[in-house]
Amino acid sequence: MRPFLILSLKEIKDTFFSKTALLFLMLVSFIVGYGFVTAVGLYSEQSLAAVNNLLYARGFEPVPGVFGPTYGGLFVLFSLFLPFVIIPLVSLEKEHNTLSILTQLPFSFKDILTAKIIASFLFLLFVLTLTSPCIILWRIYGGHIPFNELVLLISGYLLYGMFVVSVSFFSASLFDSTANASIFSIFLIISSWVIDFGRNMNMSPFLSSISGWTVTRVLKYFENGILSFTAVMYFVLICSVFFVLAYILLRFDLKGKWKSISSTVILFLFAMFVISQITLNVDMTESHRNSFPSGISKALKKVPNLEIDVYMEKGDSRFEDYQRSFLKKLALVRNDVKIKIMTGNELKKNYGLFVYKVNGKSGKTYSNSEQEIFPIIFGLAGISAGHGNEETKFPGYPLVVKEKLSIIQYTYYLLIPLLMILAFVVKNFKFRRRLKK
Amino acid sequence: MEGIIRSKMLKISNITKRYFRTVALNKISFEVSESSITGIIGPNGAGKSTLLDIISGFQNPDEGEIYFNDRPLMLFKEKRKILSYMPEHLEIYPDYYVDEFIQFINAATRHIDTDLIEILNLAKVKNKKIRYLSKGYHQRLKLFFALSNTKEIMVLDEPFDGFDPIQLIEILEFIRSENRKGRTFILSIHQLYDAEKICNHYVLLNEGKIVTQGDIQTLKQTFGEDNSSLEQIFMRAIQ
Repeated sequence: MRPFLILSLKEIKDTFFSKTALLFLMLVSFIVGYGFVTAVGLYSEQSLAAVNNLLYARGFEPVPGVFGPTYGGLFVLFSLFLPFVIIPLVSLEKEHNTLSILTQLPFSFKDILTAKIIASFLFLLFVLTLTSPCIILWRIYGGHIPFNELVLLISGYLLYGMFVVSVSFFSASLFDSTANASIFSIFLIISSWVIDFGRNMNMSPFLSSISGWTVTRVLKYFENGILSFTAVMYFVLICSVFFVLAYILLRFDLKGKWKSISSTVILFLFAMFVISQITLNVDMTESHRNSFPSGISKALKKVPNLEIDVYMEKGDSRFEDYQRSFLKKLALVRNDVKIKIMTGNELKKNYGLFVYKVNGKSGKTYSNSEQEIFPIIFGLAGISAGHGNEETKFPGYPLVVKEKLSIIQYTYYLLIPLLMILAFVVKNFKFRRRLKK
Repeated sequence: MEGIIRSKMLKISNITKRYFRTVALNKISFEVSESSITGIIGPNGAGKSTLLDIISGFQNPDEGEIYFNDRPLMLFKEKRKILSYMPEHLEIYPDYYVDEFIQFINAATRHIDTDLIEILNLAKVKNKKIRYLSKGYHQRLKLFFALSNTKEIMVLDEPFDGFDPIQLIEILEFIRSENRKGRTFILSIHQLYDAEKICNHYVLLNEGKIVTQGDIQTLKQTFGEDNSSLEQIFMRAIQ
């Protein structure tokens, strides 16, 4: 066997068969099972009223209704518990000084870190595989599976998991003790939540300006069914930078580490700036719930210098509705629209008004409905939207699950945890037998 | 002591290492001959482990250079081809079985030394988890790792810690036999009595500085009498 393969196998074994990993996997099983049972129950209950109502049925989509909440549990588990599985892969090597063993064998620092990253990636894939019974059971119940949207959702969580892995590696390389590394890692991960919270609470303009770049906000693209080039590249870059920093910090033979660290960070910021300038989004949902009809989107791209003045408080429910139904869809088409949230006397005087400006001309409305907005914008730009405003033909997928949900409970609360304990025991037992021979 | 002394192969030149304001090593210079057993002797905190870390490439010196056969040897990747290092602080994977660890080392190095396993008596504990090994056997496993290769220079930090007298005799004999085969050893030892049994060249270190160096005869001539022990010589030297 090639030395790198031997090292990778060692790392895979260290990752999968640690007691921490076993506990984590059992927790995943319980949380995913609970999330799926709850989501299916609620979806089924609400579907009762929709099965004979075509209009109401359009609101039923399996990803936001069932798979989103199911995978949502993984978000919490990855954020708060995954670091405890990943950090020991590096920090124990440092604490026990076993890096001195690996680096004297025919493995470079790059080999060692790569093998650990591969093992962590496979572990994440395994965690996500544990959710496959949900998909199978949903299909057995007669549920619809929107393949593209589901794959996007799973990919999002895989990327988020890799983000947690990269942060864990970085923290473990930075600190000598596992405890310090774990606390720092969780601090870095949940700081994204804090920024989002600060933004929602209007705590500071600075938090609002950086909140668009938090991991949780970028993950929303995947959760909402939007395949975004920027979001994918964001995860790739942020994972890469933490892995590179971990590599630099682990290299005990490297002189001038600060120079390498600052170059990496500068390069990362530059790359982030470049990707932020690219808008390439595809709505992967079957209902196209995130986007305007194609004709409207094409016409919007032709509108020059669009500016919007909003005379409304951010916390106003009408503004939230406007954001959800218009601004977010607009952001998918173009990211150069200047949106100004008015304040002070101007706000009080014109409260509730939306002003659209195109090349110096402006139009006003108090409505936040697309039917009112588009004629104003296209009128100002002198563009015809053609027949783009067609109705969507999405039928919706309500589902009343008549079978008992106990099969899910048995699978996730009993079968999967037992199988994992069995695998853990058998692995050790097999190994002992091999040794005795 | 029975090793045949040949030409100088490793030259440590003016090595200085500081930790903030503390000078851990101050202009350390000495030479190591081919097939010798050099003992770095000194009390705890003298800077022995730091010096061995630097020689092996696990730390960078602030000043000074290391030469191997008159060529500068500063990069870790070059050092690891020549030197095998057993650090004092090394806790081998506690959850591994002894056999599992041996198999991993053998597979990675593509080198199986069954004699070494036999000499170190590791077969006896192969089914034990490393965390349950006695200190002596853990030390043997560390030696197994350091010696299970074909590198020219063995750098061993406190290799005799944790051995009972019988084990110590076996290990000393083993190092002598490896030395007879042509391997060069640099050992850090704080037990002067043990050092006297095995080394043929001494570097006496105290508070980061070399107090004196040479073979036992030279040291006796400078600091003692014919029947002086290494301990007495060392005490006189640091006074």
